[in-house]
Order: sequence, then structure tokens, then C-alpha cells
Amino acid sequence: MISGGSGGNSQDFDLNLASIIDCFTVLIAFMLVSASFLSIGVFDAGIAASGETAKSDTPPSIEVSVELTANQGILLKTNGKAHSSTHIVPAQGKRDLARLETELQELRKKWPDVQAVTLTSENQIAYSEIVLAMETLRKSVPGVLLGGF
Amino acid sequence: MQSLFRKKRNRPSEEATLQITSMADIFTIILVFLLKSYATSAVDITPTKGMLLPEAHAADAPVEALKVEISADAVQVDGAPVNTLTEFQFNPKELLTNGSSRLVSAALSRKREIQTAIAQANPDVKVDSKILIIADQRTPYQTIKTVLASAALHGFTDFKLAVVQGK
Repeated sequence: MISGGSGGNSQDFDLNLASIIDCFTVLIAFMLVSASFLSIGVFDAGIAASGETAKSDTPPSIEVSVELTANQGILLKTNGKAHSSTHIVPAQGKRDLARLETELQELRKKWPDVQAVTLTSENQIAYSEIVLAMETLRKSVPGVLLGGF
Repeated sequence: MQSLFRKKRNRPSEEATLQITSMADIFTIILVFLLKSYATSAVDITPTKGMLLPEAHAADAPVEALKVEISADAVQVDGAPVNTLTEFQFNPKELLTNGSSRLVSAALSRKREIQTAIAQANPDVKVDSKILIIADQRTPYQTIKTVLASAALHGFTDFKLAVVQGK
């Protein structure tokens, strides 16, 4: 480990790095093989049926529901003190989630007690689109409830 | 300077030693980077081979819960296959009138019974309503609905949907 200098009492010595390099190589190889570079997170979703999470002592002024349609459209409905139905048409062949976000923010300004939105979808819509829509809804409203069953 | 080089060139070298100090530095940096990016979550989520999880940018940290995995050909509850699927679709004969699946419902019922028994034996343990859904991004909403309806029937109403966090 210590290679002495010319004399026995010399303070100069070289650390043998070869064994450290060996350890590092093994460690790096092991970590590269076993490491998962995917970062997995979760989205909270309640149930829009008669579940525990959907109950509230004071019901909100309006109930907001969002439906994803098969033709890339979005149907935004409100019930309660205000009844409305807005059909958000696709933009450039895709669901116009930006407009959905704007519409929801306007609704929240008007009705600040809205704390949850019910998200439903047609049966054949892929799960990835549901998640995308949920992500957009969560930017404006804290709670997203899955409905349609 | 030139004379210095000339001196070195002229000197006959008998033993060539590799300068490994810089190599040790590089390895240290790589090791620190790997340790930083190593997944250290206590919750073990390992999707099956070929599964594509949906991507999202803002998601919460995963929590420990009962895991239900939906892939192209099966539904698994806590790692055990309970129902076969054909291209993400349930066999219509296995579906009940309330929109749930008979086999998934039975498996979740057993899990709920176990949780209830543990909660009765140990007052510190509470019955958990959380359920972690690990589904392929191509799964149609019909199949997701069926699994969620089966879960809700047995009190699993706090859904956690697993996603891959994008940058």
C-alpha cells in the first residue's frame, strides 16, 4: 500500500489507487445494471359514485363534469346553480386541453367553492388520454373524480 | 519549453505507468451521479415487461397500497394474475351487471377480508381504502372502469394511478 521513498522515514508515499478503481468499477457496473431511471409517481383520483371521498357537508354551488369524446372533443358541463354545456372542439386534430384549462379557471373564478371535477370518457378512449386530461384538470381544480360507472 | 520536451523525448523510458488519479476522479463523479439518480423510493413498483405506463409531468410520490396491474393480457392483484384479458378487453361473460368483473371482484374481496381481519386483531391497523392502479397507457377506459368498479365495491375508493414522471 505504502511505497516508501528512498529512506525508511520518508513521509512521501503514493496511495495505491488500483484497488480503489477496481471497487469503483464493480460498484458502477452493479448500479448501472440494477438502477431504474424511471421515476414513477401517482395521481390521486376519487370516485364520483356514492364513495366516501365524494361526500361533503356543504355541496358546491355547481357540479362540473368533463367528458372526453371519441372525436377528440371535450364536453364541459355544469349543473346546480348554473346549467351549461360547452363543447370544446379539437385544435389541430388534438384535444384542446389548453382551452379546457382556461374554461375551468374561469369557472373557478366565478364559483370558487368548486373543489372537484368529475371526469368521464367514452369507453374506447385510451388511459393515456385520461391521465393527460387529469393532469390538465388538476392545474385548475384540486380534486378529480373518475365517473361513468 | 522546447528544450524541456527535447529532454523528455531523449530520456529512455523503461516503465510506462498509467496515471490513474484522474481516472479515480472520473469514477467518483460517475458513482456520485448514479447514487443521486438511484431510485430510493420505499414503494416497489415494477411494471411487467412490455407495459407502457402513461406519462405525466406533475405527480405525487407513490404510496404503499394494494396494487392492481392491468396489462394487455391479464389483471393482477398484488402480483397474482386473477383475470385474463384479450387485447386489454375483459371477456363480456365475466362482467357483472353492476359493471364489475367477477374474478377481479372476488380477488379484491379476499384482500379486503384479510385487511379487515388484521384490523380487528390489531387496533393500530386501520382498513385502507387506497388502491394503486398500474395500467398500460393503451388500456381503454372501459377496462379501467371495470377494475375501478370492482375495487369500489369492496371499499377501495381512494384510487392512485401510477404514471411515469416526465421531465
